Amino acid sequence: MPYIPNSPSQIKEMLRACGVKSPADFYSDLPEEIRIKDDLDIPAGISEQQLKRKLLALSDKNRPLDKFNSFLGAGCYDHYIPAALSFIISQPEFSTAYTPYQAECSQGALQAIYEYQSYICRLTGMDVSNASLLDGGSALAEAVLMSARLNRRNTVIISEALNPEYKEVLKTYLKGHDLKTYEVQVSGEGKTDLSMFLNACDKDTSCLVFQSPNFFGVVENLIEIKKLFKDESVLKIMVTNPLSLAVFKEPSSFGFDIVCGDGQPLGGGLRLGGACFGFLAAKKEYLRQVPGRIVGKTLDSHGNVAYCLTLQAREQHIRREKARSNICSNQSLNALASAVYLSLLGRKGLREVALTSMSNAHYLRQGLSRIRGIKLTFSPLIFNEFVWFTDNAPQVLNELYKKGIIAGYYIGKHFNKYNGGVLSCCTEKKTKEEINDFINSLAEVLHGEKAYIR
Amino acid sequence: MERKLIFDKDRGCRNSSYITPSLDIKPEEIFGGDMLREDLSLPDISESEVVRHYMQLARLNFSVDTNFYPLGSCTMKYNPKINEYLSGLEGFSRIHPLQREDDLQGALELMYEFQNLLCALTGMKAFAFQPSSGAQGELTGILMVRSFHEINGSKKSKVIVPDSAHGTNPATATMCGYETVVIESRDGLVDIHQLEKSFDEDVAALMLTNPNTLGLFEKDILKISRIVHERGGLLYYDGANFNPLMGIAKPALMGFDIIHLNLHKTFSTPHGCGGPGAGIVGAVEPLEEFLPLPRIKKRNKTFYLDYGSEKSLGSPRTFFGNFDVLVKAYAYILRLGREGLKRAAQNSVLNANYIKKKLEKYYQPAYSKQCMHEVVFSCSEQKKRGASALDIAKRLIDYRIHPPTMYFPLIVKEALMVEPTETENKEMLDYFIRAMIKIDEDTEKNPQKLKSSPHKAAVGRVDETRAARMPVLAHTGCGKHKKSQKT
Repeated sequence: MPYIPNSPSQIKEMLRACGVKSPADFYSDLPEEIRIKDDLDIPAGISEQQLKRKLLALSDKNRPLDKFNSFLGAGCYDHYIPAALSFIISQPEFSTAYTPYQAECSQGALQAIYEYQSYICRLTGMDVSNASLLDGGSALAEAVLMSARLNRRNTVIISEALNPEYKEVLKTYLKGHDLKTYEVQVSGEGKTDLSMFLNACDKDTSCLVFQSPNFFGVVENLIEIKKLFKDESVLKIMVTNPLSLAVFKEPSSFGFDIVCGDGQPLGGGLRLGGACFGFLAAKKEYLRQVPGRIVGKTLDSHGNVAYCLTLQAREQHIRREKARSNICSNQSLNALASAVYLSLLGRKGLREVALTSMSNAHYLRQGLSRIRGIKLTFSPLIFNEFVWFTDNAPQVLNELYKKGIIAGYYIGKHFNKYNGGVLSCCTEKKTKEEINDFINSLAEVLHGEKAYIR
Repeated sequence: MERKLIFDKDRGCRNSSYITPSLDIKPEEIFGGDMLREDLSLPDISESEVVRHYMQLARLNFSVDTNFYPLGSCTMKYNPKINEYLSGLEGFSRIHPLQREDDLQGALELMYEFQNLLCALTGMKAFAFQPSSGAQGELTGILMVRSFHEINGSKKSKVIVPDSAHGTNPATATMCGYETVVIESRDGLVDIHQLEKSFDEDVAALMLTNPNTLGLFEKDILKISRIVHERGGLLYYDGANFNPLMGIAKPALMGFDIIHLNLHKTFSTPHGCGGPGAGIVGAVEPLEEFLPLPRIKKRNKTFYLDYGSEKSLGSPRTFFGNFDVLVKAYAYILRLGREGLKRAAQNSVLNANYIKKKLEKYYQPAYSKQCMHEVVFSCSEQKKRGASALDIAKRLIDYRIHPPTMYFPLIVKEALMVEPTETENKEMLDYFIRAMIKIDEDTEKNPQKLKSSPHKAAVGRVDETRAARMPVLAHTGCGKHKKSQKT
């Protein structure tokens, strides 16, 4: 039997030691009615060779992004990942350990997570970071719940330009709470309408949720946000792409109280969106309400530096129904991967990735601006993605797909009023040739010739 | 010597050249300086140094691949290596969640087939894969309970959990807006009379782990199910302890309406220092439509995403959950098959009972009955002799064994909860047993040695009280800009 090391004779010997004849004797407490008889509809086991063949065949039925010229982003980004990263996080001591409850035999994980927390604090400018949450959506939900615990108010104001997947997760998490959500629309420029946002605030407002760069790729007017929203009793939450923080000022300098988002852009890979993690960082005065694991620095019995999980009085295994959150497992290995990514790239490398992505996105946007029929009504203040509009967007996307181009994400799916909108993203992996191919192909799809391109 | 942090290894400017930069824009011309970062304080270290840094950290860690790890309720079984390879295949790792359905047929088929296998194992009607941890599975399940009662017009306010429950259960109830009612156990099992007394019309659900955290099977489960359902409640299954029942009994036949399964426990996916895991949720027929969206459906030979159900609670997680974890767990079930799963379950129970039998002369089992996949001992006697469960746990580290779960369940004094899993051999169990017996001797002969343990670990006993009283949670300053550390 695979993965059972004991031999039949050892099993017999152990059964004898336990005073039973067969393993079935251990199950004497199980009522007959609940037992599986001979009716378990699961195939017989297979060899590793057969398993490999079967899953290879299944994986071949997918078409990986590399088979296309892809401009898909919208919350999951295709960045280059250094080979050393997967080597490091595949180390069994990282990949097959549990949550580091036992500090003395988990110093490696603990120090790595402490370094991760430090990285997140550096990027966001916040004082404290937890050890990760499940994804960007649930990190936002936890940040909103954290705000409500802090000021006991019951209204959440969010921007329309928040990632729709996050809105859905937030809505789900808030089902058990007496919290109302108001969504403030964006202006014609694809930016949050700050005056409407201000109007929506009242004495019941618990927190304000901005995303920058927002779902449409536009960088919000953070300087104005800092000026307009001065009431310190209302918490300001910023959802962000952590890679953008290599270029933009840390959110702390714009007066944000909690910064959260998805860490996938930092070396996370694609994996159908399943290689992500949530990060959440906050000002130190909110520390006691931060959900999730936190690693702290301390000393051991010899007076040497050591690390351990700390402030556990916030957590479910200690505080049970009074805990800050029910979070237990998080996405440690993914968070650790992001720390490894940041360590490998370093100051200069990370800036290069961010700026190259940004340059490519601006180059693409400029190229599209020269095509008749393409409207770029949203603000040009973008990071790595932007929305362009065209008539019959789904058909246009389809035509491009036939040419091997995944032009982006059709936002009409979530925003009726933007039914001509496509969100296109560039990372540093895009070459000029690939971008030009997209621009030329789009011109061709719309006009049947390439006259509009330089 | 103090181990250096990565930030202390900063060597100043360096070109990593992982990518080919193309920098034709100047951000300051687009955004203006007020928006832009002046200094990014990340360390610059060469690749060889980064690799060595993390290799040195890795070697300080115990793990399933390097150590016996009998951490109760966590099912730290061996993580098959083929599954790592398979989840890394380009066709699984290089796909984007917003690609077209026809480009993702393999992934959708995998999830569809995986769902069928899980339904066969558990008796549920359908599964949703978004929940990415056991706790998020609970949140999803109890929000489904909430939606179910709301649609049926009965507003309920309470959730019952036994006093032996995982901490996530009451914490989840709170997150779903319910008041938690705790019922005391009787002989380690749900006290039927207490349950009857507490289960009034305001109770939405009973959350139950079976076998429970004492390693005991709730033998009155059918009676429990009847009480819950007669009073208009739902029965929720915390699947953290499903390992001993795989292929042997079905939660649906026990009367459970909604369940979550921890793929990182029962289904062998590695736990990565605390995640990623997966706490996928299944439901029986009338509750199926409350599951998160999208669901994976099949029409003719094509798989598609179904956003149809209006009763769905939404989704607790972006996209499809931890897809790579799903691939590994699916591969695990296929590889073992019906006989292998059952054999794994039985051997997990055998290994736990073997430890119990061999140690019961020395350590008091919390309950004398046969256990399932884990056994809980009370170290109260040892404590009287001068060494607590904590001291015993820490001393095990000197034997290169990861300590069992300590001080849980809460209802057992000085608890040590041992879950060996089926993937450990007899030699390792015997080694653990000998170590525990030696430690028991030392509680008499040399308790001080235990109290000051571990002696051979990377660090001495870690001062957790100090960490909480004087929190230092991040390193600030970098290289030449080094500042003092702040809280």
